[in-house]
Amino acid sequence: MTGALLSVQGVHRTFGTGPSAVHALNDVSFEVEPGTMVALVGRSGSGKTTLLNVIGGLDRPDAGTVVVDGLDVTGLDEDGLSRLRRERVSYVFQTFGLIPVLSAAENVGVPLRLAKSDPAEREKRVALLLDLVGLADHAQQRPGELSGGQQQRVAIARALAASPRLLIADEPTGQLDAETGLAVMALLRGVVESEGVTAVVATHDPVMMALADRVIRIADGEVTC
Amino acid sequence: MLILAARRARAQWPLLSSLLVVLVIGTTLLGTSALLITQTSQRAVEVSATRADPDDVTVTAYVSGVGAADARSVADDTRSVLTSSVAPFTATTVTRASSAMRLLPVADDAGSGVKGGGYLAGIEDLPARAALVSGRWPQKPREAAVLQSTARLLGLKVGDPVRLGAELGRDPRPPVTVVVAAVVRPLQDAGWDRDPLGGAGYDPDPAESTSARQIHAYGPFLVDLDELFAGGSALSRLEVSARPDLSAPTSRGLDELTASLLRADRRLGGTLGDRIEIERVSSPLPQVLINARNQQQLTSGAVLALAVIGLLLTVIALALAVRLTTGVRTGESDLLAAIGISRRQFTAVAAAEAGGIAVLAVALAVPGSSLLYSALTHLPPLAGAGLTAGVTVTAAQLLVVVCGAVGLAGLHMLLATRPATGSGDRRSQRELLARSGLDVLLLGLAAVGWWQLRSQPAAGGYRADAVRVLAPALILAAGAAVALRILPPLLRLAERLAGRARGFTPALAASGAARRPQALAAGLLICLGCAAATFGTAFGSTWQTSQRDQADLSVGTDLAVSLAAVPVTGQSAVVREATGGTVGPVARQNIVVGQWLGGPDSVPRLVAVDTRHADALLRGRIDDDRDWAEVTGPLRPSAPVTGVALPRNGSLTLTGTVTGSKPVTVSPQLILEDATGLRTACTPDPLPLDGRRHPIAGCAPIAGLRLVGVALPILGETGVQHVAAVDATLTLPAAGTDSGPAGPAWSVRPASTETSQLNGEKVSFDGVRLRLSAAVSFADPTPASRVLVATAFPDPGPIPVVVSSRFAATVGAHRGSELTFAVDQTAVDAVVSDIVPQVPSAPGAAAVLADVDSLTRVMAVRGNVNSPVTDWWVGDPARADAAERAGALRLGAVSTRTGETDRLTGSPLRASYPAVLRVLVVAAVVLLLGGVLLHVVCDVQARAVEVARLRGIGVSRNGIRAALIGEHALVVLPLLAAGTGVGALASYLVAPLLIRSDTGAAAVPAAVAHWPWGAEAILLAVLVGACALAVGAAVFVQASRADAAHLRVAS
Repeated sequence: MTGALLSVQGVHRTFGTGPSAVHALNDVSFEVEPGTMVALVGRSGSGKTTLLNVIGGLDRPDAGTVVVDGLDVTGLDEDGLSRLRRERVSYVFQTFGLIPVLSAAENVGVPLRLAKSDPAEREKRVALLLDLVGLADHAQQRPGELSGGQQQRVAIARALAASPRLLIADEPTGQLDAETGLAVMALLRGVVESEGVTAVVATHDPVMMALADRVIRIADGEVTC
Repeated sequence: MLILAARRARAQWPLLSSLLVVLVIGTTLLGTSALLITQTSQRAVEVSATRADPDDVTVTAYVSGVGAADARSVADDTRSVLTSSVAPFTATTVTRASSAMRLLPVADDAGSGVKGGGYLAGIEDLPARAALVSGRWPQKPREAAVLQSTARLLGLKVGDPVRLGAELGRDPRPPVTVVVAAVVRPLQDAGWDRDPLGGAGYDPDPAESTSARQIHAYGPFLVDLDELFAGGSALSRLEVSARPDLSAPTSRGLDELTASLLRADRRLGGTLGDRIEIERVSSPLPQVLINARNQQQLTSGAVLALAVIGLLLTVIALALAVRLTTGVRTGESDLLAAIGISRRQFTAVAAAEAGGIAVLAVALAVPGSSLLYSALTHLPPLAGAGLTAGVTVTAAQLLVVVCGAVGLAGLHMLLATRPATGSGDRRSQRELLARSGLDVLLLGLAAVGWWQLRSQPAAGGYRADAVRVLAPALILAAGAAVALRILPPLLRLAERLAGRARGFTPALAASGAARRPQALAAGLLICLGCAAATFGTAFGSTWQTSQRDQADLSVGTDLAVSLAAVPVTGQSAVVREATGGTVGPVARQNIVVGQWLGGPDSVPRLVAVDTRHADALLRGRIDDDRDWAEVTGPLRPSAPVTGVALPRNGSLTLTGTVTGSKPVTVSPQLILEDATGLRTACTPDPLPLDGRRHPIAGCAPIAGLRLVGVALPILGETGVQHVAAVDATLTLPAAGTDSGPAGPAWSVRPASTETSQLNGEKVSFDGVRLRLSAAVSFADPTPASRVLVATAFPDPGPIPVVVSSRFAATVGAHRGSELTFAVDQTAVDAVVSDIVPQVPSAPGAAAVLADVDSLTRVMAVRGNVNSPVTDWWVGDPARADAAERAGALRLGAVSTRTGETDRLTGSPLRASYPAVLRVLVVAAVVLLLGGVLLHVVCDVQARAVEVARLRGIGVSRNGIRAALIGEHALVVLPLLAAGTGVGALASYLVAPLLIRSDTGAAAVPAAVAHWPWGAEAILLAVLVGACALAVGAAVFVQASRADAAHLRVAS
C-alpha cells in the first residue's frame, strides 16, 4: 500500500441469498490519494451508496478490506466505527441529514460536541465554518427554515467541523436545482482545497465530474475505470 | 377505495390495533360502569334489604280502644291489612293484645286507698317468649300463665284461681276468673318491652291506665289469644307485627313495598273505621328502603363522575392514536390527494375504518365489560357486600357500549378527516388562540364546578347533579391543560442548561424534548392519565379515611355499650372482664339549655365522660393539633372524691331523732362510687327517726365501693306550720374509712334552696359516723323541698364544659360563656372552656362535652341521685372478640368503631365506590401506558432515518439510546410529575367535597384530603417503571435499526 488515504481492496457486498441475491459490490478495488476529490459515478442501483456506506463503516463488506487513513475499517467493532466517523470520516447526505430540532449552528456543532470540544472553541469553529459556507447570518435558523441549498451547505459545514480526513458525499446535489447544485459543488471543491480534505462524492452530475480530480465509474457493483 | 382501505389495514395493523385497544378500553369501562350503576345498584338495594336489621323490617300496627264485640274482627282485619301491605312479599305475623285494666282484689298499700289492677293478655307463640317455671302451658279455657314476679307479689301458685273484676273504663265488662296454669319467666329480647308493664309483672303507677284512678298494676294474666278475643274483654292494646320475607327481594318489589307501606296507615284506618279509638301503622322499613334508594343514587352519581373521567381519558387516548396514525399516513394521504382522491372519498374510507373498528370494539367490549364486572364483583369490597354477580349482558350495558363506540368512532372519523395543520404563521396563531381559548374555557368551567361543589348545601341531596358528575373531570382536565402550558418553558430551561454541557447527548435530548413538536403529542394523555390515577388513589384513600373519621366520631370511642337499663353497681367490672381495656361510664342525654329545647334536627345533647381517661376513651378528629386529653384537661375536677370505702356486705345503720310529736321518716339515698367512677344510689326503705338503730343492708354488694354522698329526703305530714329539729346519724362499718381518722371533709346543703324548708343544716363525720342535722319546716307540701344532701366533696359550682361549634353558634356561646342546662330535670351550671368542631358520639349535633364526675357531683348536690350514665365506653379493648363478649352480656346495643367503619365502607349500597375507583385507576394506568407505547412506537417509525443519520455522523448506538431515552425522560417524567401534582391538587380541592355521609348530607367530620404516600409512591413507581420499559424497548429497537439500510432508503 502506498500513501493513499483510502484503499478499497476486493470488496464484495451481497444483499439477500439464493436466486434473489443482489450483488451490490463485486470485487471493488481502488485507492484515493490524500487531498483529492473523487467523483463516484454510476446509474441508480449501481452500488454507489453501498460502496460509500462500506467506506464509512455504516455497512460491512462480505469480503475485502477498506483502509481509511491507515485504519482497517473492516476490522473495527461498533465503537471503533463510531469513532471512525467522529474523527476521520464525515458524511454529506443527499437529503442533507440535518437534525431538524437543532439550529444551523447547533447542527454544525454536533461533531464538535461528540468530540467534547471546549464550548468556546466549539462556537468559534462553528462560526468559522458557517462563514466558510456563507451562512453566518443563518446560524440560528433551523433546517426547516432554510432552503435546500442552504441545508446542504450546513451539512457540508457539519461534515467539516471535526476536521475529517475523508469526506463522503452521497449525491449531495440530488435534491437541489441546477444552480444551487453548482454552488454546492463549488463549495465542496473549495473546502477540499482549503481544508486539505479528501472527498469521495457519488454523483450523476457531469459538472461535479468536471470538478473532481478523478472519476471512478461503477456499474453493477463493479468499478469499470 | 375500500380495497385500498383493506390493504392499508393489513399493512398498518399495529396502528389500527392500537386504535382498537383504546376503543375497547374506553367502551369496556363504560359498559362496566353501566353495569355497576344499574345491576349492582339494584342488587345493592336488594341485598341491603335482605341484610337489614330484623327490627328495621318489622311493620307493626298499633290499635287501642277496641270494644269487646269487635276484638276478633279488628284483629283479623288488622292482620289482613298488614299482610296485604307488605305484598308482594309473604310475611309472618305476631299478634299480641292486652285487655283493659280490671280491678284486682289485693290488699291496698298501707292503707293508701290505691286499688290493685290486673289485665289479661294474649300473645302468639308464648312458649318461645317465656320459660316455664312451674305448671304447664295454658291449654284450656280460662287458664292463664303469670309472670314469676306477679306470682310472687300476689302470692299465686299453679292452680290458684284469680278473679279479675270489672273493667275500669267507660263501658266496663263483667268480671272474669282465670286459673293459674303456669308460672313463667320472661325471656330476653322476646318482645316483653311491649307489654303494658314491660314484662316487670308489677307497676305501682303504670303509665297506661284505663281510668284516671291510680292503681297498682299486676300482670299480665296470659291467656290464649283466641280466648282473649272471644272472652268478652275490651282490648286496651292490640298489636300486630308483620315481618316480610325479604330473603329474595326484587328491586321492583321493594319499590312496591315502600309505596304500599306508606299508604298502610290510611288503609288500616279506613278498614277499622269506628270500631277502634286509635290506630297506627309504624315501621322503619319504608324509610330504610327510601334511604337505601337515596344512597344508591348517591353512589351511582359518584360512579358516573369517575366514569366520566375514564371516558375523558379514552377520548384523549383515541385522539392521540388517531393523530399519530394520521401523521404516519401523511405522505400517503398527500399522494392520494395529488392523484385526485376527493375529500368525500377520504371521508368514506375514514368512516369505513372507524366503523369497522367500532364494531370490533363493541364485539370485544360487551363480553369484556361483562367479564370485568363479574370479576370485580368477586373481589372485595363488592364480594364482601354480597354483590357477587355472574357474567351477564344487559340492555343498558349494550346500549351504553354501542353509544360509546359510535361516539368514539365519530370522533375518530372527525379527527382522521380533519385538514392537516397548515404551516403558515397565521394558521398557527389562530390555532394557538383557539387552544388558549379552550384552556381558559376549561379553567373557567373547572372553577365554576369547584365553586358549585364548595357551595353545595350541607344537607345535600341524593341525585347525581351535573356539577358533581362533571366537576372532577373538568378540574383534572383543566389542571392537565395548565400543566401542559407550564412544561414547555421548563423544557426550554432544561435545554439551555444542557446546551452549556460539552457532550452531545444531553444537548440533543434536551433539544429534542424542548423543540420537537411531536414530543408532547402524548402529553395530555400522560398528564391526565397520571392525574386521574393519582386522584383516584387519593380519592379512595380520602373516602376510606373519611368513613373511618365518621365512624370514629359517630361511635365516639372504640367500643360502646348503650345500656338498655340504668347501670348497676359493679357493672363496670363485668364490662371490663368481657372487653379488657379502659372502661368508663358515659352519660349521653338530650338536654335543655336554658329555654332552648332544640328543633327536630338539632336537639342539644350532653356527652359526659370520664375525662381522666380521655385519651383512651374518646375518638374522633378534632382538626387541630390537640388531642382529646388536652381538650378535656380543663374539664377534670381539681381533686378526686375520696369518699369512704365500704367493705363488701358491710352493714350500715341509721339512728335518728326528731323533735315534736309528729312522726318523721327519712328515706336515705346513699351515693356510692365504684372503681370506674360510676355513681349509683342505694335507697333502702323509709326509716323512722325514732331514736332506734335501723340497719341498712344490701348497699355494698361488691368490694371497692365508696360512700361519696347521702341524700336524705325527710318525710312527714305536710301543709302544717310545724318545724322539727331532725338529727340523723349514719354509722358506717367499723373499718369503713381509709381517709384518715376524720375521713374526708363533708359538706351539707338543702337540695333545693327555693322554699327554705331546711335551715341550720350541719354535717359532721368522725370516720365512722356521719351525722346530719337541720331544722325542718313542713309547710311546703313538696317533698323535694326537704332533701338534705351531704357530700364528701364541696359544691363544684359551674362545671367547665366543651361545646361543639354548632352548639356555640346556636346559643352564641364562646369561651368563658356561662350557661345552664337541665339533666334529668336538674339544673347544671356550666362555663364554656373550649369549642370543638364536634363532640364524640354526637356528630353534627349541638353538643356539650362534660366530665361525668363533675356532672354527677352537681346532680348529687342538687339532690338528684339518679345515675345519668347511659353507656359504657371502652377504650383500647384488649380482647379481639370484645364486641361479641360485650354483646353476650346483654346490657344493651354494642357498637364499635371498626364495626361502624365496616358498615360504612362495606355496605352494599356504597361498595361500588372503591370498586369503580379501582377500575378508574387501572384504566388510567393502562391508557397512559398505551399512549406512551403508541407515542414511542410512532416515534420509532417517524425518526428511523433521522436516527440512522446520527449513526452516520458518528454517534454510537449507546449515544443514540442515551439521547433518545433522555429526550423521552425529559418529556415523560415532568409529565408524570405534573400529573401527580394535578392529581394531588384535585384530591385536595375536590375529593373532600365529593364525599358525603351515608345520608347524603355533608360528611361529619368534614372529609379531609388524605394523600396515601405509600400507595401513590407504588403507583408512580409502576408508571415510571412501565414507561421506562416501553421507552427503553422502543429506543433499543430504534437504535438497533439505525443502519445503512435506512440511509439507503432515505437517499
